[in-house]
Amino acid sequence: MKRALLLVCVLASAAAAETPPPPTKLIKPTPATPATPGLVERARLEVQPGGKAIKQIAIENPLGDVKVEGYDGTSIMIETRKQAPDEEGLERLRVSLVPNPDGTVRITTTADGGKEFKNVGRSQMRIDLIIRAPRDARVDAAVSAGSLEVLNMDAGGDLDTASGPISVRNVSGGVSTHSVSGTTSLTQVFGSVDAQTISSNLDLDTIGGERLIASANRGKIAGRRVRARHIELTTTEGSITLEGESSLRGRIVVSSLRGDVDVRLRRQGAVSIRARGAKVNLGSAMAFAKTQQDGWVHSQLGQIGKNAPALVELRSRYGMVQFAIIE
Amino acid sequence: MSCDDVRPRLTAYLEGDLDAERGSVVRGHLRSCDTCRQIATDEAALRDGLRQLPTVDPPSTMWAGIQARLAQEEVVHSQTPAWRRAVARWAPSAPRFAAGGLLAAAAVAILWWRSHRGPDAPTAHTPEPAPIAVTVPNKVMGPTQVVVGADSSSDVTADLAGEAARVTATYGDAAEELLALAGEARGQWTTEQKDAFDARIAELRGAVTTAAEGRPRQRAWRALIRYLQGAVVRDEIALAGGAQ
Repeated sequence: MKRALLLVCVLASAAAAETPPPPTKLIKPTPATPATPGLVERARLEVQPGGKAIKQIAIENPLGDVKVEGYDGTSIMIETRKQAPDEEGLERLRVSLVPNPDGTVRITTTADGGKEFKNVGRSQMRIDLIIRAPRDARVDAAVSAGSLEVLNMDAGGDLDTASGPISVRNVSGGVSTHSVSGTTSLTQVFGSVDAQTISSNLDLDTIGGERLIASANRGKIAGRRVRARHIELTTTEGSITLEGESSLRGRIVVSSLRGDVDVRLRRQGAVSIRARGAKVNLGSAMAFAKTQQDGWVHSQLGQIGKNAPALVELRSRYGMVQFAIIE
Repeated sequence: MSCDDVRPRLTAYLEGDLDAERGSVVRGHLRSCDTCRQIATDEAALRDGLRQLPTVDPPSTMWAGIQARLAQEEVVHSQTPAWRRAVARWAPSAPRFAAGGLLAAAAVAILWWRSHRGPDAPTAHTPEPAPIAVTVPNKVMGPTQVVVGADSSSDVTADLAGEAARVTATYGDAAEELLALAGEARGQWTTEQKDAFDARIAELRGAVTTAAEGRPRQRAWRALIRYLQGAVVRDEIALAGGAQ
C-alpha cells in the first residue's frame, strides 16, 4: 500500500525526472545532442507496477507520435524524444507520468507557456513517445497530428487522432478508433472493432471478432480477410470493398451514399442477399435474383436448414453495387 | 402549451433545434391541435419543396473571373502604404472617431511634451507632431494593437489550447453536412418518421450541448454523425416504418 501511495505521488518529467520514487527505475537522460532542426533530447524511464499489475495506459500526446508495443513483462518502459529549437524550448516540453494504485498509468505531454518564454511555433516543438507495455494492458491514447501506432497488445483500447494516422497491428480485445482526417489501418485485430473517420480512408486487414462497425464520411473503406458476425460498413462519399467470410446467422450491411460497393464473401452456410444501387451485379447469385418494385434485388445462395442464413445487405444510392461468392 | 406558445417554436421544431423536452411538448400539441398540425405540415412541405429545387450551377468562368479580380485587388492593396491601409480599415468609422482621435491626440501630445520637457530642453528638440499623430490612431484602434501583438497566438501553448475547439468544430461541420443531406431525404419520410428523427436529433444535439468541452463533446458529435449516417446512407428512418 505504501508503495502504491508513493507511486500516486509521482509526477515526473520523463526527461528531467527530478525525484523518481523507489519503485521507479530511471535511466538517466542522455545529454542533449544538437540536430539539424534544433536540439534533441532523449530519455528512458521504466515504471514498475506498485501494488497491482498495470492494467491500463492512458496516453495523451498532442505534440508528436506515440508508439505502444506490447511485450511479456510487467513494467512500462517509456522512451521520449523531445525536440525544440533551443535549450529554453526543451525546458518547456514536459512529459508527466502518473501511476495510479488501481493499475492505471497516465502519460501526458505538454509545453509550458507564459510571458517569460519567447514564442515558438508548434511545428518546432515535438515530443515522440515509444512505450513498451505489458501485453494485457488496455491502451487509451490520443494524439493530434502525430502518428499513433499500437502493436502486439491483448486488451484492446481506444485510439483518437485529429489528423495523424492510426495503425493497429496484432491486437486482441475491443478496439475503438476515431480520427478526423488521419488514415486508419487495422491489421490482425481479434475482437470487436469500431472505427470512425470523417475525411480519411480506413484499411482493415485480418479482422475477426463479434462486431465490426466502420464508417467514413469522405473516405474509402477497404476490408480484407474480415470475419465478424455483425459487420456494418458505411461511407457517405467513398467506395467500399470488402473481402471476407459470412458467418452463420451473421449480418453484413455495407452502405454508401455516393461510393461504389464491392463485396466478395466466402460462404459458410446459406446467404440471403438484398442489394440496391445505381447498378447491381450479384455475380453467381444473379441467377436467383428477383427485383422488387422498390428497387431492391433479392437473392439467396444455399439451402436454409436449421441455421438462419447470413444476411447481406448492400446499397449505394448513386454508385454501383457488386457482390460475388469466393469459391 | 397553447397555440400561441407553439407556433413561434414550429420552425425550430422542424429544424430539430428544440431540446428533447420542448420538442416533446410541441409534438404533443401537434397531435391534438388540427390547426397547428396543418401549419406545421404546410411549413414542412414548403421547406421540402425548396430543398428539392434544382441546384443552379454557376458558369465555369465565374470563379476564374472572381479570382482574377481578387488578385488585381491584392496587387493594388499591396502597393498601398501601411498607414493608408490602416486608415482605410477605419474609414467608415472615421467621422465617429475623428473628434475623439483629435482630443486623444491633443492629450497625448500635451502629456508627452510635459513629461519630456526638461528645464533646459531647447524648443528645437521638441518632437515633431507627425509621429504623435500616427501613434494616436493606433491607440484608439484597439484591433490594430491586437494585430501587432497577435504573434503570441502562434506560440505552441496557444495552438494547443485552441486545438480541441478546432477538432470539435470539424465534427460539427461534418454533422451539419449530413443534416443537410437528411433534409433532402426527409421528403420521403412519413410524419411519424420525421417526428422520430427530429426527436432523436434533438436528443443528440442536447447531448452535444451538455457535454464538456474537448473529447466528451467530440464523442457526442460522433454519436450524432453515426446516427445521421444511418438515416442518410442506410435509410434507417425510411426502413423503420414510422417507429424508431
